[in-house]
Amino acid sequence: MSRPASTTVPATGMGPPGHVTSAQEPYPSPAHLAAATTRHTQGRFTVTTRKLPISKSAPIAQMEARLGIPVPEMIFGDNVVSVAHEPTGWRIEFNAYDALDAVDKTDKNMLQVAYAKSWSASREQTSAGIKEVVKPYDWSYSTTYRGTTAPSPSSSTPSSPDQNTQNTTTTENNTKDIPQLAPVGPAADDPTRPAQQIPLELLKRRDPILFFDDVVLYESELDDNGISMLSVKTRVHEQRMLLLCRLFMRLDHVVARVRDTRVYVDFDTDDVIREYTVKEGSYDDLKKAFRMSGLTPDGVTVALRDGNKVAELLPIIDQTIEHVSLKS
Amino acid sequence: MSDLDKAIAQLRACRPIPEAQVRELCHKARELLIEEGNVVTVAAPVTICGDIHGQFHDLMELFRVGGDPPDTNYLFMGDFVDRGFYSLESFLLLLCLKVRYPDRMTLIRGNHESRQITTVYGFYDECVRKYGSANVWRYCCDVFDYLALGAIVLGASNTLSPPNEHISSEDYADADIEIEVCNADGDIMSRFQRRDNEQRSPNGAGASAGSKTGPPGSGASGSSGGSTGNPTGAVLCVHGGLSPLIDTVDKIRLLDRKQEVPHEGAMCDLLWSDPDEIDGWGLSPRGAGFLFGADIVKVFNHRNDLSLIARAHQLVMEGFKEMFDASIVTVWSAPNYCYRCGNVAAVLELSEGGGGESILARSNGDVGRSDGGMRGVMMESDSAPKNGPARRYRVFQAAPQDSRGMPAKKPVADYFL
Repeated sequence: MSRPASTTVPATGMGPPGHVTSAQEPYPSPAHLAAATTRHTQGRFTVTTRKLPISKSAPIAQMEARLGIPVPEMIFGDNVVSVAHEPTGWRIEFNAYDALDAVDKTDKNMLQVAYAKSWSASREQTSAGIKEVVKPYDWSYSTTYRGTTAPSPSSSTPSSPDQNTQNTTTTENNTKDIPQLAPVGPAADDPTRPAQQIPLELLKRRDPILFFDDVVLYESELDDNGISMLSVKTRVHEQRMLLLCRLFMRLDHVVARVRDTRVYVDFDTDDVIREYTVKEGSYDDLKKAFRMSGLTPDGVTVALRDGNKVAELLPIIDQTIEHVSLKS
Repeated sequence: MSDLDKAIAQLRACRPIPEAQVRELCHKARELLIEEGNVVTVAAPVTICGDIHGQFHDLMELFRVGGDPPDTNYLFMGDFVDRGFYSLESFLLLLCLKVRYPDRMTLIRGNHESRQITTVYGFYDECVRKYGSANVWRYCCDVFDYLALGAIVLGASNTLSPPNEHISSEDYADADIEIEVCNADGDIMSRFQRRDNEQRSPNGAGASAGSKTGPPGSGASGSSGGSTGNPTGAVLCVHGGLSPLIDTVDKIRLLDRKQEVPHEGAMCDLLWSDPDEIDGWGLSPRGAGFLFGADIVKVFNHRNDLSLIARAHQLVMEGFKEMFDASIVTVWSAPNYCYRCGNVAAVLELSEGGGGESILARSNGDVGRSDGGMRGVMMESDSAPKNGPARRYRVFQAAPQDSRGMPAKKPVADYFL
């Protein structure tokens, strides 16, 4: 298995998942979308998640035409996770289209597979005529996506065709009145620390989980050279919630990346903190670190597939924290 | 009941066979495969299947939908292992069937049938987990090295036989169906007649796509404008695609295949390359691997008397996807891939040419057999492509059993940070 077959087919597609009945049903029906959507309201916030099968050929073709790059072979174009503050209309959403729109569409950040050099060297004699790289882009899908904050012009995408029904509050509000996330400065009493931080100690407590979901937005096997996966986890407690949107990218024998966007909400104060953390390290260093932690060689192979374990060992390259107070 | 039949019965129940038996099976399989050429010749009727990836219960569903072996002849285009939870049972069952019914079962190599890839993507771990050592993995990898690189299907008819017992052959005689899509129960979901020069629009389908009239997953079929009864060209089956180093099927026959899949060379390309909407050849942005366009496929097919290339290797949501005026098709046979994609799968059925119409002797992939090899194929834009065989795609979904032991649909809540 590798990349999906490129998609310039006419607008036909099989029916909804589970029932292959018609040649003319490229999109899930509104009823189908609604059935796949879960909502949970806590305090003045509503958390919404939607999980559906991978997109069909026709929506993929449209998506690729709009994005200008091929999409990963496992593209969950209808999946979405959102957190909305009802009184103000503030909203953050995570969807595959916007995430892929934040992938580098040039050749500037293009990685090469480990054996690229030997591969092209061996080709010089025999296939010298073929030098043109087809559609250069960051095929590792290392997105810098931190979520789509409403209202923003890019948020109404084909990936969420029921945008209007999903959150009527947002569209009714005047966009200018909605508070926005802003960078957090140093704390007044201790300039080495940020003024606002996600309270890890509170999140480590085993408070009852009132709502939980884990939603994949896209995944690529990078032509069997590793993995790139963007997924969103969320857990809601009575007092607070945490959302983690994680990009886990491992290019075998080259590099590993984790890019975490955490959204923390305090339901008492209606404070929202967004923390974006970039971690990266060479594949060899990562492997060494796993070996040092006492794993067997086979154990290392297994650990390299686990985004959580990789995230623990990769060094932090960059971190930004933003905050917004939604209390009226 | 022979030992082999017992092993088949046990594997059909998704129970691994003892290590000693695996060793013996792999030894027999190698003796058999070593006699096969790099390109196996297969006579229609045959059912062509794409990636399986260790989804054992879905393989059982495939046999239910496509007909049980040996009653149905099968051609599997590789990627039997990795990703799924039952690579071992899936591969060993296919291998047992190959040894038991060598003429009715064809297995060709996918890019996952390799030591390096199976170490990373699950098959190695599965063998160690199920046997406590890597011996079985080693035996299997030794078999991988002997798998053929491709197959040529000869004698495929340009008409179909009925998809189920409720439809009589008479009803089929006049239909002139080029493509038929059936569901798992054999009910016809859509049919596409062969188009003649008047460009009639079958079923009224594809109205949104102008004059193109392909079924779901096809990039508009029907450029093959022949009449019923004409022989069809051969079908080349290969896991990935073409190679710039290979311009004739005979060049595939000359490769030394009995080795680990190399990172370079024609053998690598056959297992890894992908068709794409480009002109000519292109390099993958990954820095390794080729992409090839419609012109490459058309020239290759013409030169080798092929009407169609069937390949696997890429996930297609509808189970199959015809491209480049139906000169190449991707077949994908792992439904709900990785137990969470929710895609359907398909197999491609080619019928046997009846009434002496089959063309076994005609096309065998030799260069220029039909035109003396003198004419430049690029200059023959006026000549129609080879009349394609009638194709039936049976589309099916994941077996309900294959959710056993899988991550539950409802995710387990955890205190992630």
